[in-house]
Amino acid sequence: MLQTLQVERRVDPHLSIDRYDPEAELLLLHMGPQHPATHGVFRMDLYLDGEIVVKAVPYVGYLHRSVEKLCEKLTYSQVTPIVDKNDYVSPMTNEQAINMAFEKLLGIEVPRRARWMRLVFAELQRIASHLLWLGTFAMDLGGALGGGSTVFIHSFREREMIMDLFEEISGARFHYNTHTIGGNRHDIPAGWAGRVKHALDVIGARIGEYEAMSLHNRIFVQRTRGVGVIDSSLALELGLTGPMLRACGVDHDLRRDAPFHAYDEVPVNVAVAHGGDCLARAEVRFAELRESVRLVRATIDSIPEGSINGGKPIKLPNSIKIPAGQTYVGIETPRGELGTYVIADGSANPYRLKIRPPSLHALSALPYMLPGGTVSDALAILGSVDPIMGEADR
Amino acid sequence: MSSKPNLDTGGSFTHPLYQTLERLPGVSLGLASLDDLLAWGLTNSLWVFPMATSCCGIELMAAAASRIDLDRMGTIVRATPRQADVMVVAGTITVKMAPRVLKLWEQMPEPKWCIAMGSCAISGDFYRNLYSVIPGIDTVIPVDVYVPGCPPNPEALMHGLLRLQEKVQAIRRGEKVVRDPNPELIAITKPSVPRVCERDRDGDLSREQADQALRVTADQMCSPIDVPYAATTPQKPVFAPDFAGLLTELGIADAPAEGPPCVPVARHYELTRRLKDLGYRQLVSIVASHWPAGLGRKGKDEAEPEHFEVTYLLRTVGKGSRVATWTVRLVVDETIPTIVPLFAGADWQEREQYDLVGVRFEGHPDLRRLMMAENWVGHPLRRDYPIDTPCAPWR
Repeated sequence: MLQTLQVERRVDPHLSIDRYDPEAELLLLHMGPQHPATHGVFRMDLYLDGEIVVKAVPYVGYLHRSVEKLCEKLTYSQVTPIVDKNDYVSPMTNEQAINMAFEKLLGIEVPRRARWMRLVFAELQRIASHLLWLGTFAMDLGGALGGGSTVFIHSFREREMIMDLFEEISGARFHYNTHTIGGNRHDIPAGWAGRVKHALDVIGARIGEYEAMSLHNRIFVQRTRGVGVIDSSLALELGLTGPMLRACGVDHDLRRDAPFHAYDEVPVNVAVAHGGDCLARAEVRFAELRESVRLVRATIDSIPEGSINGGKPIKLPNSIKIPAGQTYVGIETPRGELGTYVIADGSANPYRLKIRPPSLHALSALPYMLPGGTVSDALAILGSVDPIMGEADR
Repeated sequence: MSSKPNLDTGGSFTHPLYQTLERLPGVSLGLASLDDLLAWGLTNSLWVFPMATSCCGIELMAAAASRIDLDRMGTIVRATPRQADVMVVAGTITVKMAPRVLKLWEQMPEPKWCIAMGSCAISGDFYRNLYSVIPGIDTVIPVDVYVPGCPPNPEALMHGLLRLQEKVQAIRRGEKVVRDPNPELIAITKPSVPRVCERDRDGDLSREQADQALRVTADQMCSPIDVPYAATTPQKPVFAPDFAGLLTELGIADAPAEGPPCVPVARHYELTRRLKDLGYRQLVSIVASHWPAGLGRKGKDEAEPEHFEVTYLLRTVGKGSRVATWTVRLVVDETIPTIVPLFAGADWQEREQYDLVGVRFEGHPDLRRLMMAENWVGHPLRRDYPIDTPCAPWR
């Protein structure tokens, strides 16, 4: 029955619960903030009629670490390690987004080598992030996939390979702090490209294995097809980005449409699916995994020689002052458009710094997607959203 | 919730089974070997309850996954507190989350232990003095093993578990295990970062003086001697022709160099609707900022009253994607019409800005706080809101 479920009318998330059938005995189920399937500390109140969700009220803020306030008190170069912790599944792209905004305000040209390195880092990070999504999503779908943790164990095995590569660059497994204003801090060590290619040979070959375990698994498909459908116009209104948006059939990817780093020199194939459901989101992420492997393979050998930082030699990096002005920079991260809006007032600290988190927008789609499904569908939908509460709450 | 740490009695415990057996005649002879058996069993089946909130949770997952594989130590991750022996607090604990952590801890059966994983759980790390974060989980529940790092490697967590096993055996053998907080340790973990003045914490300085001291420290740190980047003159923003044309049509003045064009409150909704029709269909973000009296976009300006600026960003979809940005300026107590009827995503964005900055959106269907608790007082992202606002019992 669920396979033919169509969203005909938009759900009104603000409709009071009294307006639903007052005769029916609705059950209120609190889910979270501590629940293994909520991917962190996220809570939602589900109003259930039997097992069917009729209304969902999400609550965020359980990991509100006041990053924006903290950044106002720090100097521009001190901000980078703070934003690492926002989207802790892809710290590389966090650093890039924030430093690109500062570079734009300062008018600094980033050297070509640094831009290519950023591209390689971003794509490797996308592989690691999607592998983590795959593992946790399969866990959310539970016993259907070989006891639940089979895919998880497999995908984490490959994720460790990328962690090792990044550890070689910066010395940390994550929270790298390797991007600075004007370029990168650490150069690529000798022989790194060879090890990257070796890792890609392993990962690239195993993507098919994952697909066999998930997309070609009948139970997986039954749990995800037609579940959590969202239409493209609502997705755009909600500000959904990344795989969430591309799964609704919207052909939009900032890597191609508003190129940053070196994406203007390297053509990117954008993966689009048309179902708008959990299965379509999984398909898009699988296609992006393959595309990222292809992109890194295509670029790793042709990283140009040159300097990795465009700034002058810095004695006191804390003394960088940015002239008064405002700017917005958005880049495509594994979860969508991660934006930074900076208001500078000419001093050494940002006056106001707003981070536009893709996860928060994605979570705001839950009240529209959950009603009509069952409780187990709710977990599948939440897993397919791939939220990271660190960046949603900041 | 109780603010006092629930420190139990030196880590000793008595198992109910043990107590029952002790009363039986003749059994006391075999109790010594039973002790060993219990210790062996407890040590090698420490089931973990993952109180994973943020980054450290990912390393906890990595520790349970293929490479480190905690299972071989008998450590299985259980998602319910009722089946677990060890709570691993992995990640930052906020004021909103701390009561939940205490509740989950109380649901765990005795004997139970706690591992604080990562600097946030240990001391709050650099979020320590911020209004919404608690300075370490040991202010709420007793901690047995601290695993430092940001985040600790999975190997470090494994080491922490091995140390916990040693501790469990020591307790079983009746050795004294220190669980009292170490005052020297507390002294060195006091805030070392310059953003909050030490003396302010001790109550010697008024809030203004403390802020002044804070400013001085920050200025000293950012010595103005060496300016590596020459200050560039701000460039005038270039708009896409359709957005610029629309601004002209609506009679809105061109943008100043310091920021996006200012739109009167009365024309704001109309502009949004027209832009949506023009193809700017994706909501990017809503940013509100607070400007105290005497501060403006160009810096200090005595003529400026206290005001808010709300900046809207919309985006076109597809090749050559472009962003339209404009600002609405509001005086204090002025409201701004909501754009929820046009963009459903503005719902949460406006709630967030209302919560953190305190801008009121007129006509919003459900204007509640988004990040902070419902009963929170004040709006944290206002410029005059102290970063370490007191919040009992932590600061």
